[in-house]
Amino acid sequence: MAQSTTALHALLLLSDSALPLGSFAFSSGLESFLAHRKTKTGTHRASGPPNGAVQDIEYFHAFLEQSLENLASTALPYVTTAARSGGDAAVKQVLLDLDNDFDASTPCTVARRASISQGKALLAIWERALSSSTAPTDQARSLSAAVSDCALLVKSTKPGTASLSSYNGHLPPLFGAVAAAMGLPIEQTGYLFLLNHAKAILSAAVRASVLGPYQSQSVLASESLQAHIKILIDRYGTVKAEDAAVSVPTMDVWMGRHELLYSRIFNS
Amino acid sequence: MSSPFKITTSQPGNGSIHLGLLPPSTPRLKTSSYQYPLKLVSPSPSHLPDEAQTLVHTVYLLTYGGGLVAGDAIDLHVMLDATTRLVLLTQGSTKLFRSPGRDVVSKQSMNVSLAPGSALCYLPDPVQPFEQSCFEQQQSYTLLPSDSNGPTGNLCVLDWVCNGRPANGENWSFLRYGSRNEIYVAQPSGKRRLLLRDNMLMDDGGVTNSIKSRMDSQGVIGTLILHGALLTKLGHFFMDEFKLLPRIGGRKWDSGSESGDEDVDEATQRRAVRQREETATGVLWSAAAVRDCVVVKFAGPSVEAGRSWLRVMLMEEGSVARLFGERALLCLR
Repeated sequence: MAQSTTALHALLLLSDSALPLGSFAFSSGLESFLAHRKTKTGTHRASGPPNGAVQDIEYFHAFLEQSLENLASTALPYVTTAARSGGDAAVKQVLLDLDNDFDASTPCTVARRASISQGKALLAIWERALSSSTAPTDQARSLSAAVSDCALLVKSTKPGTASLSSYNGHLPPLFGAVAAAMGLPIEQTGYLFLLNHAKAILSAAVRASVLGPYQSQSVLASESLQAHIKILIDRYGTVKAEDAAVSVPTMDVWMGRHELLYSRIFNS
Repeated sequence: MSSPFKITTSQPGNGSIHLGLLPPSTPRLKTSSYQYPLKLVSPSPSHLPDEAQTLVHTVYLLTYGGGLVAGDAIDLHVMLDATTRLVLLTQGSTKLFRSPGRDVVSKQSMNVSLAPGSALCYLPDPVQPFEQSCFEQQQSYTLLPSDSNGPTGNLCVLDWVCNGRPANGENWSFLRYGSRNEIYVAQPSGKRRLLLRDNMLMDDGGVTNSIKSRMDSQGVIGTLILHGALLTKLGHFFMDEFKLLPRIGGRKWDSGSESGDEDVDEATQRRAVRQREETATGVLWSAAAVRDCVVVKFAGPSVEAGRSWLRVMLMEEGSVARLFGERALLCLR
């Protein structure tokens, strides 16, 4: 009984949209994707918003599906690998290696910035709040200690002095480690990670005036989103971190070219 | 006169190239061996027109029939001694033929180790996966440590893939295509640390033509990776040009202005021509400087668009031709 209450509590905490990770600042390439669409279809959009909006929604659905697919193939293996680690003394090194490898595998500046900024925010919340909710198991305790060490490492790295060997604080391995330290079962961790991403993109879409708030909620509640996430977890949930790969290469192009947008409301 | 066809080893698909250094500073192709279906051809090395008359070796990576039949496996090992320079080329796109099923995967693997100060230029033709092909490749580059924090190896490597044979109605119609590029830094302790990984894996997941929808009508997609002191200037060039790309969704207030066009320098004029060309052909690209590397990603509607864009960029900057000779750009012609 106590065990399941812990897990439920952790799940509710980590799925809360008020969790101050700063996810609202990132659109994961959606903004750039839509901007590229507009230049492609010409400038007739300015005259007829209804038609444009319908098109935008179609594009948005394709984007959401592909963005989830790409996140699942590139980041989910890091989440699950971190969540499976723990229980021995090497766990801190595992987290450091996962961080290095994720950093090496994310050559897109915009995506790195988004991942590091959210990872650091998660570490700050961990230190100030979540670390007290460590689950009463050996694995959770060792992960909890390792995440706390990572929080110290991030603070000790002065800005501008970062080198190849320094710790970055990328979100995916930290998310897995924090969730496991709080006693969340691995299947739920993966589902939560992907659902949080879907929420962040939907919220970005609402603010970018692609969808209304009710439409956004209906996408979030839809069966097709659930089914898609389940398929992705089956496909990528057991992939080793070193085999994580980009599955939607165009996503990198959108993300990378976000910096070229004339006007931006998001950080990615 | 030695035969340009090298002696063969016994394992099918295996090959090795060792570019050694004869004291004091003469690079020499020490071993170059291969086995069916791989074939290595090395024309005589060329001298660069620079002061030191640097000797650059070239090896063509060939496969019988110009590609890989289902189940073929190629395993190539390349070793570059200190300060040597090697150009690897292909002769036309690497075709990937139809596989009888997803359990028959053709594989290509290349492991390169680079001693300090050596340089590899690998600008091949694109990989061309036919309908229902099933393929995975990996290129792994290991930078060996130098004695006193001196310069490490240098890399200018390209990995690109196209949508197949559009004339035959193919458009990303393969079953599976994977390509992994990794750069490791070997540490004095013997361990290797991952510096950069660019791993792509597209699988149709059992749904025919499901990959096409992800590609957003692009016909070619590629990654250029630059690393090392010799290629710093080229890296800066890509970063600077990326920053100077026209903003997306911005109004061109300055277009059509009558003053100002005459007194801009030639480089600026050429940039304007390039950017117009990019817009016309639909080539999209981005560059990122991360972890001592510069990674350039590009996508275009056709192989020709991508090829021509990359050639113009590399020729404008000039480092590749200066460091490796004009021949290094042969596959981009």
